Amino acid sequence: MGNHRTKGQKNIWAKLWKYRYLYLLAFPGMLYFIIFRYVPMYGVVIAFQDFRISKGIWGSEWVGLEQFHKLFTGLSFPSVFRNTVIISLYKLILGFPAPIILALLLNEVKNQRFKKVTQTIVYLPHFISWVILAGLIAMFLHPDSGLINELVKLFNDGKGIDFLVSKKYFRSILVITDIYKGIGWGSIVYIAAISAIDPTVYEAAMVDGANRFKQMWYITLPELKSTIVVMFILNMGGILNAGFEQILLLYNARVYDVADVIDTYVYRNGIMSSNYSMSTAAGLFKSVISMGLIIITNKIAHMLEEDGLW
Amino acid sequence: MKNKKNIYDYIIIFILVLISLVMLYPFWHEMMYSFSDPVDAATGGMFLLPRGFNLKSYWSVLRNKSVWTGFRVSVIVTLTGTVAGVMLSAMLAYPLSKKRMPGRNVLISLIFFTMLFGGGMIPNYLLAKKLKLIDSYGALILPGLLSAWNIFIMKNAFAGIPASLEESARIDGANDLTIFFHIVLPLSKAVLATIALFTAVGYWNDYFSTILYIVSKDRWSLQAVLREILSNAQSAMSASGISVRAEEAISSETVKAATVMVATVPILLVYPFVQKYFIKGVMIGSVKG
Repeated sequence: MGNHRTKGQKNIWAKLWKYRYLYLLAFPGMLYFIIFRYVPMYGVVIAFQDFRISKGIWGSEWVGLEQFHKLFTGLSFPSVFRNTVIISLYKLILGFPAPIILALLLNEVKNQRFKKVTQTIVYLPHFISWVILAGLIAMFLHPDSGLINELVKLFNDGKGIDFLVSKKYFRSILVITDIYKGIGWGSIVYIAAISAIDPTVYEAAMVDGANRFKQMWYITLPELKSTIVVMFILNMGGILNAGFEQILLLYNARVYDVADVIDTYVYRNGIMSSNYSMSTAAGLFKSVISMGLIIITNKIAHMLEEDGLW
Repeated sequence: MKNKKNIYDYIIIFILVLISLVMLYPFWHEMMYSFSDPVDAATGGMFLLPRGFNLKSYWSVLRNKSVWTGFRVSVIVTLTGTVAGVMLSAMLAYPLSKKRMPGRNVLISLIFFTMLFGGGMIPNYLLAKKLKLIDSYGALILPGLLSAWNIFIMKNAFAGIPASLEESARIDGANDLTIFFHIVLPLSKAVLATIALFTAVGYWNDYFSTILYIVSKDRWSLQAVLREILSNAQSAMSASGISVRAEEAISSETVKAATVMVATVPILLVYPFVQKYFIKGVMIGSVKG
């Protein structure tokens, strides 16, 4: 018996030794993940404390769920949460299908040069930062000199609209500009998936007399299904982000009512007002829901006999 | 019959041309504005061509010292972060592509979990504080250095390299390190270029890290500097509803347009050359493994 075990142990050590260089390669990267991803995960415990930076995590007082209680009964968070959900849903409903439709349209183009040029153009906004785009948007929507308002003035007795301080228009601006930035880049993965479809399938369908719409509907879309499912699951995981940087760069005090989302709330309360524990609680609330959404959508994908994300 | 375009082809082409114009026009509009005379531009009604062509606005952008310091900071951060990030990602991704390595699944699960859950802004900030990274280049580089997503794309690419190549090197007495550096890396240029591009774009466009971690203005990234230029007049006017004297407001508008152009042109110049890589890279990454 004892002999066996030492032999087994020896085998394990021998095996580990055999792969020593691979472990050596992986070590710095794993260390990075431990320090920069797992330590902050442990850091969320301050959501259950009355964290004081002078006392640190080890010295601060534990308060259980008090921070969450304050958060949910407070004045601002319920509306922050509602904004997050509404903005995210708008972006999901309008922004998620947009790249798929673009990819399908591009797939119908036979002229390769035209297709390439179009692709180059639509990918471009992805590479432009939100800082620059926010500047562009502000200039376009400027109440006096902005281009959009030059048009609005024609129909509005010469008066422009200050869109960026208008509660009525702010969310639409977020959704439209989000699609503007993301539609082309988002379409790449679908274009890649379409290009992997076996062309003989289309030829067979053509012989059977399927027209182009039918080919798209009965061949291309079903072939895209698993890609769509994976992208959808990933989208669900990021849904409560609602586009933090975009909002941070575009919003202002006058539209907080409709535009303040969890991340902007965490930033203002946590970083700017040093309200660490309560804003960590808000962030943790978001992360837990996001994780739940990923797990649930992945499960649904499995039920629909799709591979899902894992 | 086959090559003849029917009405649907024209509709599709029309839609795509329309989309392309909508994508490009904002940049054209900025460019035209940036070349215009500040006072002339004030009268509005410009749609296609600049009015009173001049380069005054560019002068005032390029004379701005903080644009240059921001540029320098962003170049340093982007270069360091991209080189280190790609190297470390590849080093981690290669062992993970070896199915027989003991403990592989544990490591993959540990990395995968970071895609599902994270500490969030405040714990990240407190960690940076604890590590004394605040107000240093480290704070701009380290938090975004590695991502699970990039590592999995690389892992899939490495897994696609024929095992026979590595085996023959092993017979010649090469160890895993030699194989990785001398065989695997040179064969993986496409995926390395893709990840380098993703990482570089992330660093170059990063604005929030500066806002979160940096105090001293000489370590502001370019995006933070640009933000200051772009938002100054606009936020002051919009938020308070006061209209500033037309001349000042408008001259700052053409300066803002020039700022947008100065920040966009470098990207426009590099972009066509790297485009083929990222399409290839996304394809490699989309093969599940």
